[in-house]
Amino acid sequence: MNERWVWPLLIAGLAVLGVVLAVADISIATRWPTPFSDALVGPKYGTVQAVPLRFDRTGVSEKFIFASPVAGFGPLSPYLALRAFLTNGAGLVLLAISALLAFPSRARNAVERLEAGHGAEIALGAGLVMVLLTLAATTLLRFTLLFLAAVPLVLLVALVAALFGIACISLAIGRLLHRRFKLPAVHPLVAALAGSLVVFDLAVIPYAGVFALAAVAMAGLGLAVVTRFGSSGGWTFVDLNF
Amino acid sequence: MITCARVRVLLEAYVDGDMAAADAARVRAHLSTCADCRRQHDQAISLPFRLRALSSPAPRPSLVGEVMQAVGAERAGYSSSWTLLVPETVLAAFILWYLSGLDGLSSIASGVFGDLLSLGSGSLPHVPPVDVVLLVALIALMVVAAFHLSILVRLTPRVAHE
Repeated sequence: MNERWVWPLLIAGLAVLGVVLAVADISIATRWPTPFSDALVGPKYGTVQAVPLRFDRTGVSEKFIFASPVAGFGPLSPYLALRAFLTNGAGLVLLAISALLAFPSRARNAVERLEAGHGAEIALGAGLVMVLLTLAATTLLRFTLLFLAAVPLVLLVALVAALFGIACISLAIGRLLHRRFKLPAVHPLVAALAGSLVVFDLAVIPYAGVFALAAVAMAGLGLAVVTRFGSSGGWTFVDLNF
Repeated sequence: MITCARVRVLLEAYVDGDMAAADAARVRAHLSTCADCRRQHDQAISLPFRLRALSSPAPRPSLVGEVMQAVGAERAGYSSSWTLLVPETVLAAFILWYLSGLDGLSSIASGVFGDLLSLGSGSLPHVPPVDVVLLVALIALMVVAAFHLSILVRLTPRVAHE
């Protein structure tokens, strides 16, 4: 096979896998509902009518629903799965590539530290600690009048840090795919695109997806924190010692 | 008149500036007329050549032991850094129990944005009552978590380039 088709085929395969997993997520959630079932795949077929018509004038989602071949499971809805891919998946890819375009050198620093020995474990552990720290800090701030306004700011900073980290993890996954499967050399943004699709696929695994996404987001938050947003100097206080 | 052989002998001292002024003047005069000696001189003042001429100091006998000890300490630091998750988990569990579980936590979190909007209307937001035990637990969790983060930051490998 011509080498130039390897990456497009891989990306197309990951996209199709994401849609298939989303179909399974929608179908299985009907049998074993979870509180997070709508978080990634959106509202189910029965609740589409509640969406304002100006966002869904065609009502196609009501027409492309098929009975599940396995008894007890909910209907298969490839249209809703495609919608999940075109909203959450496209949003994830767009944010990841935007972060890499805006901060290429910082992303490189962060990815190199992630790929070093114990980098992933340290990032995940730091992310877990950061979640605890953020929860404690926001709860503490909630009990004050003066610093109440800082709560959304703290959450916003944590969100931005997690998004930057997820972008770096996407690039690291793309580079891992390149190394592990000996794929031909490609533009790093294409590798990041493939990596972000892997993250989306992980997120739409039935039941485990939300937890997988939470783990990736926590690792991203931890990576952004331990590398100080990919700063080459890291955490240094030399400037304070004057 | 100084010969080429004599200049080669004196060249190192000349380059180092460790030579009497009269001798240095004679070497300088020879270099201005002799292309071979000038090439030798150019090579002698090049940085790689001078670096090669430096003698390498013998390593301390304890060097290997010190390196191995440093590596061992890093490994020990890596494994011991995870033990801090225990007090963090205990504190988080205590705080959750104190807040009556996730419902209490969400009730604390809910209303933040509403309260902020009420600031715009001129009324002061409602601040939930809290006792000192919970505040101490929250601050303790933050301190332990910050300390834990500082350890993880030190364990994170550095990058060599800018």
